[in-house]
Amino acid sequence: MKKISILTLIVSLFVSTFVAANEVNIFNARHYKADGELYSKFTNLTGIKVNLINGKSGALEKRIISEGADSSADLYITADAGRCGAMDSKGTLQNGLTSTAIKAAVPKSFRTSKWVGIAKRARIIYYSPERVTGAELSGMTYEGLADPKWKGRLVIRKSSNIYNKSLVASLIKNNGKAATAAWAEGVVANMARTPTGNDRAQIMAVAAGEADIAVANTYYLALMLSGKKGPEQQAAAKKVKAFFPNQNDRGTHMNVSCAALVKGAPNKDNAIKLVEFLLTPESQEHFTNNTFEFPMIDGVSPSPLVVNNLGLDFKQDMKTKLASYGKNQAAAVEVMTAAGWK
Amino acid sequence: MRINFWYISSFVISLFVIIPILTVFSSFFESTSNYYQVLKDTFLMEYIFNSLILLVSVLLLTFLIGTGSAYLVSFYNFPFSNFFKWALILSFAVPPYIYAYSLTAFFENYGTAYTILKNLFGEGNYNQNIPKFDGLLGVVLSISFSLYAYVYILARASFLYQSQNIIDLGKNLGFTKFKAFYSIILPAARPAIVAGLSLVAMETLAEFGAVDFFSINTLTTGIYNSWIAFDDLAFANQLSFFLLLFIFALFILENLSRKNAKYHFNARSGFKQKQKIQLSGKKAFLAFFFCFLVLFLSFLFPLSQMMYWTIKFPENLFDLNTLDLLTNTLYLVILSSLMLIVFGLVSNYGNRVNKDKTLNILSTLSISGYAIPGVILAVAFITFIAWFDDSVVKNLGFISIKKVFIGSILGLVLVYFIRFYSLAYNGIKSGYEKINISVDESSYLLGYSKRKTFMNIHIPFLRNSLLFIGILVSLEIIRELPITLILRPFNFETFATTAYISASEDLLEAAAVPSLFLILIATFFIIVTSKYILRDNNE
Repeated sequence: MKKISILTLIVSLFVSTFVAANEVNIFNARHYKADGELYSKFTNLTGIKVNLINGKSGALEKRIISEGADSSADLYITADAGRCGAMDSKGTLQNGLTSTAIKAAVPKSFRTSKWVGIAKRARIIYYSPERVTGAELSGMTYEGLADPKWKGRLVIRKSSNIYNKSLVASLIKNNGKAATAAWAEGVVANMARTPTGNDRAQIMAVAAGEADIAVANTYYLALMLSGKKGPEQQAAAKKVKAFFPNQNDRGTHMNVSCAALVKGAPNKDNAIKLVEFLLTPESQEHFTNNTFEFPMIDGVSPSPLVVNNLGLDFKQDMKTKLASYGKNQAAAVEVMTAAGWK
Repeated sequence: MRINFWYISSFVISLFVIIPILTVFSSFFESTSNYYQVLKDTFLMEYIFNSLILLVSVLLLTFLIGTGSAYLVSFYNFPFSNFFKWALILSFAVPPYIYAYSLTAFFENYGTAYTILKNLFGEGNYNQNIPKFDGLLGVVLSISFSLYAYVYILARASFLYQSQNIIDLGKNLGFTKFKAFYSIILPAARPAIVAGLSLVAMETLAEFGAVDFFSINTLTTGIYNSWIAFDDLAFANQLSFFLLLFIFALFILENLSRKNAKYHFNARSGFKQKQKIQLSGKKAFLAFFFCFLVLFLSFLFPLSQMMYWTIKFPENLFDLNTLDLLTNTLYLVILSSLMLIVFGLVSNYGNRVNKDKTLNILSTLSISGYAIPGVILAVAFITFIAWFDDSVVKNLGFISIKKVFIGSILGLVLVYFIRFYSLAYNGIKSGYEKINISVDESSYLLGYSKRKTFMNIHIPFLRNSLLFIGILVSLEIIRELPITLILRPFNFETFATTAYISASEDLLEAAAVPSLFLILIATFFIIVTSKYILRDNNE
């Protein structure tokens, strides 16, 4: 029995060490079914096998860093520019995502030479049309979330959430740290409850009457409206409207799902090919129709559910470089914690 | 002391298990702090506070549920009491993180509770009247209903050994039932209950899945976060110091209670079989109701929520590669339990034949892996391999060994081994303690070699213990989350990881299918082996 187990061990060891050569290894913190379908398409098209290790961003990053130059990781894909930026600042990424195809597809502020955005999402305000008037919302900005008129009316996720970190990081970039610290205190004072639950739970809190406004990403409302979450949530989503803040100045805060090229990637060329594939119009359309994100490239329109219910012609913040999200992560955590943002 | 095969094997096994445990603590002495002390103090207070509240509430709840139900099924006959006897251990099949998903699914705004109310009474705004079980309260309920079975099993085993004599004693003293329970039965079972509670406490401190799902920061997730997200080892060091304090206190408590546990098993001669009291009428109903409520809340509720979702969103069932997940899960279970049992046996035997102090201390230390949260053990393992590879292996001119250990089945099984070694080692040890040393001596007198004594006499004797340990380890590995999550290879998922990944992406409906399968498989394991877990006939 012992011999068998030792033998099995040795076999399994080899299986995981020597794998087929034409492949690309993704450390993946984005787990949509739609992504898997795209990867199969890529394999059929190019013959390159896509290997996945799924996990949350923190643990995956730790593994890439510990494995160092010996890491089998080619690409790190995650749903937040702040995480890609943080990996860059730790020196674990390399240049290479600079092909003409990539440069032509992705606007400058949404990429660096080491990581690029592959799909966009906006972090916006949801409100109850029954309890919030047009006058109250007129000219609303992220900065305005700290206005005392929202006292006891606002819900937003915990400060540990990566989307919130990136939003606050962008505010620090635009308004400075001191102003953002004061802002965070105002936001905490306005909260209708101690932060709990995910983005969708914030939207549902507004639908259920626990709060009047919520901050959440764009695709969640579309997801609920699609009926994929059941008829109750579909009905709930109809009680909530979307509002795009900062339309009169820099535009609405945008974040991306990003793909980063890992230093020492054993299959660098394949990794670049995959990123280029994800930026083709077909792939972008697949994203918009299934994950309800905004396309990264021009010429592809978002899902009708997003267009009809959220509106399309809003002004996106194209000015704030997404690389600043990573740089200001630590400061963002600091101001939120200091303000008592749970 | 003689150096022989058995000595060396036990020594090597114990040493292997200790190394990563030592890394956990040694790596804390590096300092890479970059946060303001003020903020850290805020965090520190929050983590300690959360861990304490969690610990106290879970202990209280598991004590009430576990001892209460064990008392009822051990001393009374009431409708279905024989069914509840084993059905109450089914909660083991539902890990806390799946319980957390069920709680959220049922009670959230527009969740299952809302749907039920809507179907019963028509449209209405029920959300504000539905209680919300999230945050710290959600974590407490998830852990308690999943883990009370530890207390139940041990308390029941202890009640079972209580003689009719002491119950009669209470009667003769004119005690009421409650007073007899409170001042005789409960104190006599105290060591067993404390042992059960300390297991619960250890698991509570180590808990990752449910705590992470409700984003409650405890010492364990705090260490993990400051390690992983902030790269702040100095702060992780501070946190782990407090976690260690907690764990040491528990260790001491558990050991003390175990020492005390020895005396009441000696009362063999005066043992009189207990007469179970027949309950009828209102009392029978109340006893039935309590046990049913526990079974319902701990097992039937999460099971039916997961089933309901699987039926409501059937597309998720077809999207899942069930066969692959099943093969992967069973592969890990078989490989790890074999390894644990074989090495646990060898190490125990080595200790038995050598009676060496150094070896004894080493073995005792090596079982502390169970006290270290899996998530921290996994990160420590990666850190250790990376350090060893960069500063030793490569300096000697060899090629990197990282891929052999990180992201491989080998690495995964090794860390399971470290984490669950104490289960195997202690389980086999308690089996061994029942084999008198004179058996060994007679065997040698008959001319058997050490090897032959081991193979032909000890192993057959230990068969039941080994089976029991196999089940325990299997259940742990089926439910295990953080180690698998951090260390698994490419394209390798289990039911646990699939459920977690879906849940963390706000796809709770998709998490229902793997969760359901996980519950069903674990239930199957439990039902098939319930007689070994309950051990009714004195082993």
